[in-house]
Amino acid sequence: MEVFLQTLVAGILKGGLYGLIGIGMTMIMGVMGIINLAHGQLMMVGMYVTFVCFHYMGIDPYIALFISMPALFLLGMVLQKYLLNPLMEVESILPENQVLMTVGIGMVLTEIARFIFSSDYKSVQTSYSSSSFFVGDISFSVALTIAFFIAVAFTVFMFWFLIKTDLGRSIRATAQDKDAALLMGVNSKRITIITFGIGSALVAAAGTLLMPIYYLFPDIGGPFTRKAFVITILGGLGSTVGAIFGGVTLGLAEAFGATYIGMAFDDMIGLLIFILVLLFLPGGFKRLTKI
Amino acid sequence: MKKVSKILCVFAALFFLFTIAATPVIAENIKVGVVLPLTGKLAKFGEIENKSFLMAVKEINAAGGINGKKIDLIIEDTTGKPDVGRSAIEKLISQDKVIVVGGGYSSSVTWASVAVAQQHKIPFLVNTGSADRITEQGWNYIFRLNPPVSEYPKGFASFLQNVAKDVKTVAILHENSLFGQSGSKKFAKQCKSLGINVMMKEGYEAGAIDFKPLLVKVKAKNPDLVYMISYIMDAAMLIRQSKELDMNAKLFVGGAAGFTLPEFQKNVGAGSDYVFSATLWVPSAPYPGAQAYYDKFVAKYKTPTEYHGAEAYAAMYVIADALKRAKSLTPEAVREALAKTDMMTAFGPVKFVSYGKKTQQNSLPTFLVQWQKAKLETVWPENVSTAKYVYPVPKWNER
Amino acid sequence: MKKHSPILALAILIIFPMVVKSHYHQHLMILFLMWVVIGSGWNVIAGFTGQVSFGDAAFFGTGAYTAGLFATKLGLSAWWGMVFGGVAAMAIAFPFGWICFRLRGAYFALATLALNEIFRHAATIWESLTDGMVGILIMQTFVSKIPYYYIALGLAVISVLTVQIVMGSKWGYYFVSIREDQDAAESLGIHTHFYKMISLNIAAFLTGMAGALFMNYMGFIDPEVVFSLHDISIMAILVGIVGGVGTVYGPVVGAFIMVGVHEFFRTGFFGVFEGIASITGIEFLNVVDKYVGHAHVLGFGILVVLVILLLPNGVVGDWDKLVGSLIPIKKKGAMV
Repeated sequence: MEVFLQTLVAGILKGGLYGLIGIGMTMIMGVMGIINLAHGQLMMVGMYVTFVCFHYMGIDPYIALFISMPALFLLGMVLQKYLLNPLMEVESILPENQVLMTVGIGMVLTEIARFIFSSDYKSVQTSYSSSSFFVGDISFSVALTIAFFIAVAFTVFMFWFLIKTDLGRSIRATAQDKDAALLMGVNSKRITIITFGIGSALVAAAGTLLMPIYYLFPDIGGPFTRKAFVITILGGLGSTVGAIFGGVTLGLAEAFGATYIGMAFDDMIGLLIFILVLLFLPGGFKRLTKI
Repeated sequence: MKKVSKILCVFAALFFLFTIAATPVIAENIKVGVVLPLTGKLAKFGEIENKSFLMAVKEINAAGGINGKKIDLIIEDTTGKPDVGRSAIEKLISQDKVIVVGGGYSSSVTWASVAVAQQHKIPFLVNTGSADRITEQGWNYIFRLNPPVSEYPKGFASFLQNVAKDVKTVAILHENSLFGQSGSKKFAKQCKSLGINVMMKEGYEAGAIDFKPLLVKVKAKNPDLVYMISYIMDAAMLIRQSKELDMNAKLFVGGAAGFTLPEFQKNVGAGSDYVFSATLWVPSAPYPGAQAYYDKFVAKYKTPTEYHGAEAYAAMYVIADALKRAKSLTPEAVREALAKTDMMTAFGPVKFVSYGKKTQQNSLPTFLVQWQKAKLETVWPENVSTAKYVYPVPKWNER
Repeated sequence: MKKHSPILALAILIIFPMVVKSHYHQHLMILFLMWVVIGSGWNVIAGFTGQVSFGDAAFFGTGAYTAGLFATKLGLSAWWGMVFGGVAAMAIAFPFGWICFRLRGAYFALATLALNEIFRHAATIWESLTDGMVGILIMQTFVSKIPYYYIALGLAVISVLTVQIVMGSKWGYYFVSIREDQDAAESLGIHTHFYKMISLNIAAFLTGMAGALFMNYMGFIDPEVVFSLHDISIMAILVGIVGGVGTVYGPVVGAFIMVGVHEFFRTGFFGVFEGIASITGIEFLNVVDKYVGHAHVLGFGILVVLVILLLPNGVVGDWDKLVGSLIPIKKKGAMV
């Protein structure tokens, strides 16, 4: 029984973090239809920012959130404005050019990180990095638990933002029908830039929260991008609440897969779920809820 | 189609231009090739070996080189991928015309590369790639300085037989790489022959965030020994999360690679204490030049080194020694000279012998080290130990 | 001239190994030819039919492992894989297509990506079949590269011809109509699912054969190498896009550029800096060479970004634009 409960807890906590990674991507994909294959690399940049804050300025990762998020917000906006928006204007046979552009961006970000920081593994050791508290026999990682609650908080915030604020509504309008939104006076170019910025900031937050319990090296981005897709598809494009549910689902699937089938399979489980959802629940969880 | 032919002509011209632009050759120098991962995931170790090779060749050339001739070390980056590794060694052999190759870091890259060397009949002294099969093919141009992965736990096995006699059960965790998959299989076999019951043996994809599902299974089985074959970051995560789960065992042992680096201790902090690891070399090893190599490296590069670096350093000296003894500076003669090697290096004695299925393999003892108070102490065999072992290890909440 | 230029290029390629004896350059050309095959395959399903697949490595790896397993499990020559590799890949194409073709656009791409990864994991975990990460090692049949070169050249010619023939046929029109507007095509009575499958099978067959060639030529494969998302699938897409999607010769140019540029950066501009440094003795150039060598992937990535930004239809597609910007004086009439 302990094995089951521990796995359950591990899956849910990890899922919160996953959800945070997914929110950024679901917004980008939902609003602009861009498959951002550089998502993991953006997270990596956020993590390096956190690392620099910690090692050179002694700033705790939770405080560094306030630095990494704005930094990545700006980076995201710049990338969208100068590299991705121009592509949307050009007549090309395949619209998938922007996906490849994100591949190129991801490569460049990774290599720049390698250039500056070398391939060495970096980590941030805080007092709470390895600490856990016990509820009965079940261990809860302190850092992951805090991350979980912060992820939920962000989700709630984004939910409110998208429904109640003007900017949020403009974003949703652009996601629903770009041309109609344009006709309504929404500056869709500006919206795409801001959305990419928000998406990047959110994934940077995920990275910052992950730093104390994981480690960092330039190639870390790839697997996270893939997980982000699974979560996005699970939750439904553009759905912030869906992202959290998608994240937790993935976390649980990986945890239970690892425990009961074998840890070598945990990636596969995620991928299989991905395919199944694509086939049988094409809208993701969003279909079952309203947003 | 006109424009296509124009394009092709332009590119063809550029290409031929580069084809003809040859790298100027400095005659009279002996060319030695080295294949290492200088970029990519394995770059950290590639860099340590690179620096060691360079340090060694500088010393050798300064001391008069090979009968007056200098060694020209040509180092190619394999980027840690087997197909790039093959391109790299192909280039060394066919374009740079090296007469001997050294290096060979990752098992899969090395495995892919030795076949090329054997086919082209260029001697290749492997100094790190550890999969057993590399020297089990009967390839007479391939030599290996370092022990194969199946022998990594030799020192540890002797510890089990002499000290930790009450260890009856083991859980083996390994990463899903060639190194992990083959190493774990070999260790499981050894456990059986030692009468230790392998309760579980499970692989994982390197880079996982959360090992708790895996570890909670181990905890439920409660083995005496937890044996892990991991690279550095997974190693750190495994130990940290074992502590978080309060999972205890009589022994936590690493199968080399990740557990002996300073980063491991830095990452795990106090939790790293009492973790054992098999290792191939320590600065305090009873080989002349071992400690000197360590001190020289640190002084020159301001960063620590470990057994990979020692392997590279020693390999350079073995190659130089063979070159000196070779009847002529041709690959065949160098091969013959290598086969007759019998010398002492900072990494240990080097003599290529055949045993079991293996040919041209150097046979060395291995050591058992243990982290004690954030220092890596050699604890077994006793005659080379720098500190006494702590066994069984105290439980997490008793520290 | 128009009709004869590809023949001219072919002639150059045929005599190439007799003129250039360097193993290293022959090796690069073999890689180039292999990518022509893969790129052409991808072009059929993606460039012409509009289904951008991110999972071509699944076909490549299947072909490679078929060839390898013929050698290790059946004790036959791996060359049988050349025949069956393409077929095995086609077998994979059926479930692949069945799963993925119900999806469109971004979802399709993601599904192919996921399948790619599933194949890679399966090959790693299914040790009893594939030996996992040990990979498959065979001794090459020929020491000299020349036979491999001509086989690769043959494959490349076959792929380009296949694409040319298919695209000139009725099938080709169906493919393009699916790309332009799938629903309209369906409403005109074109069985889009059926033709998408055919298109995918063609792509799979070519890519699978390339995989089998890879196994025979390289002598070593493992799941990370042949099912690699980044090195095979995405490279295939780059070859196609940089060359020019939807053109017959685009993949040829794309393959040349990608292989050439990749190696160019990896060797630090083919050792030009090193060479100049030793001739002139300027130490600084050695430092530059070291940095370029270390940053070779970075240079490659930047190049990719630039090409996509500036030449969205690929080199062949945007050739006029490219030439126009480089030789401004030569413009004869209106800008193109």
